Amino acid sequence: MVVTAKALDTSAQAHGDISSVTTIPFKFTGKAGEYFKIWIVNIVLTILTLGIYSAWAKVRRKRYFYGNTQLQGSPFEYLAEPMQILKGRLIAFGIFVVYFISSELLPPLAAIFGLAFIVGLPWLVIRAHAFNARYSSYRNIRFGFKGGYGQALAVYIGLPILSVITLGLAYPAYTYYRSRFLVTHSGYGTTPFSFSATAGGFYGVYIKAMLIFLAGGVLFGALFWAFGVSTPSPGEPSLAGSAALVFFLALAWLMLLLMVRAYVETAIANLVWNNAESNGNRFESTLAVPHMIWLYFSNAVAIVVSLGLLIPWAQIRMTRYRFENLKLAAAGNLDSFVANEEEKVASAGEEIADFFDFDIGL
Amino acid sequence: MRELKASFYDGKTSQKTDVTIHLSRTGELWIRRPSGDLTYALSAVRITPRVGNTPRSIYLPDGAKCETLDNDAIDAFLKQRGAHAWQSLLHKLESRLLYVALAVVITIASVWGLIQYGVPALAKHAAYSLPPSVDQKLGAEGLDAMDRIWFSPSELSEARQHELRSVFQSITDNLDDGHHYRLEFRKSSRLGANAFALPSGIVVMTDALAQLAESNNELIAVLAHEVGHVVNRHALRRLLQDSATVLLVATITGDIASITALSAALPTILIEAKYSRDFEREADQYALAYLHSQDINRSHFANILLRLQKNRPENSGVFDYLSSHPATKERIKALEHAG
Repeated sequence: MVVTAKALDTSAQAHGDISSVTTIPFKFTGKAGEYFKIWIVNIVLTILTLGIYSAWAKVRRKRYFYGNTQLQGSPFEYLAEPMQILKGRLIAFGIFVVYFISSELLPPLAAIFGLAFIVGLPWLVIRAHAFNARYSSYRNIRFGFKGGYGQALAVYIGLPILSVITLGLAYPAYTYYRSRFLVTHSGYGTTPFSFSATAGGFYGVYIKAMLIFLAGGVLFGALFWAFGVSTPSPGEPSLAGSAALVFFLALAWLMLLLMVRAYVETAIANLVWNNAESNGNRFESTLAVPHMIWLYFSNAVAIVVSLGLLIPWAQIRMTRYRFENLKLAAAGNLDSFVANEEEKVASAGEEIADFFDFDIGL
Repeated sequence: MRELKASFYDGKTSQKTDVTIHLSRTGELWIRRPSGDLTYALSAVRITPRVGNTPRSIYLPDGAKCETLDNDAIDAFLKQRGAHAWQSLLHKLESRLLYVALAVVITIASVWGLIQYGVPALAKHAAYSLPPSVDQKLGAEGLDAMDRIWFSPSELSEARQHELRSVFQSITDNLDDGHHYRLEFRKSSRLGANAFALPSGIVVMTDALAQLAESNNELIAVLAHEVGHVVNRHALRRLLQDSATVLLVATITGDIASITALSAALPTILIEAKYSRDFEREADQYALAYLHSQDINRSHFANILLRLQKNRPENSGVFDYLSSHPATKERIKALEHAG
């Protein structure tokens, strides 16, 4: 039958010729010592210019990380200009100040702000991703992001509300639809991305996280009980002893939360990458949960102990591990992607998003 | 004539072509590629600034670009042509050990200076330039909310309340700073012996505190401390200082909120606790000055602080850094050394 033949033909095209699939690893060549110098100069100039330089700082930081990320001998490049970022930052800063003062002094005004925020949030998210994609390139071809307001409203406002109403039951669905929204509206040049993960996969991750949390909670409870019972109290209770105990238990609790969080982030990152596809090119993400937990933990400790001076080292280390575990399974060669027509995107969206610190993920 | 290796991308497809670029003494770029050579004047192309040893892009007028790792050759070419001086300055700052060491010192010193002096001084200045009506708004709904959560009506006798109100009035009578001072009594089993001030000028004293005091002089000291919070606009200053702290910490660690959420929260909490303790010390100073002006011995203040501490054992050691109040021992020591 003609129809079947045609369907077979397209599917063969979509997945490429199996025999010609080559696995190309991503390479990250950033060095902690080199980045430390860029980072500290960024901070000092930002302080000395009362924050104005932060726009230049951001561009230099992103150029460093993009430029050190390579795929088949070609680096990525961040293209935004500092002035674009500065403009966005000034707008974001103005909104932040007005919001902060008004929410403390005039609660009704803060409510209006809140409403405007809800209406504006989907637009902001779209703008942020469009700006970031538009000003990222590989082999002189830009990435792109084209999401619709209606879908963004459903994903970023509707599903979180549903998650609250269902006491969190809809939360994995929210993260699934969010990833799908982001991946399927992205493209490299004229080539769009597609997403084959299912909501079930996301529910699986969160159910497993729940089990880890419960197991850890039981262990934590046992620990708490053991210490609570075995602490002897002859004479007056030792305050220093009980303070140390509280400190220790708080630390154990933080560790448990960190482990659960590291598991969720790692599993979701693997799930999203392994189900993203572009014209038959797939990704292979092999992040390991124990190693990610170790990285999170040791980075946090190093940063605290060094009073922040090891932040660049922590960042480079994390980025290197992420890219060491990411490969592209290319269906053909990487030479035939085609550029999209030029299109300008203002940066205010991204900077405002940056300022209010939404977690965009991926 | 310099020669460097580069990759050429036409900007229309992702095809990569290996090329060599010749940089001439007269400031021209001569790109030799298999499909034909291209020549451009330096003024016609855009060369991206150097960041570490990441590849440099040379954007050509028609949207094509060349990418090269030979940063030094590009730098030497630009220097010879006297172009991009400001951009190469940044790379110089980022690559000389001396400048970097200087940057570390300046950063640490200015962060410390900002936290210790800059932020408090700015907040103080800003707070005093705002009218007292701002304080009214800050505390407008405070007492109603606390009445619902913590308080039940006071069980102190009318006479006792009247007596303490007149004591309070003598503290606030001569103040003409736009605040409407009023003393309120409440009973609270959860808060125990306590007193606090709302920014509007309302001071709340718990029954337990009134009963704990052995003399009115002790209560005068506590009330003067609370009035000190209001006079010195502590609520507004705290609001301003805490927002500045969040901004400051975000500026430094903000790049990587996801890795360091924990490590960013810790300094914020520590700094805010430090500011809170500074305000307590300032209020203590205010109370001391008032006691002095009334010829009341400052030992009354020390006595009530000690009794409050006995009533409510404090944590020791590590937790001082997280505490909103200075340790009682330290406060009493400060009282003894004052004046």
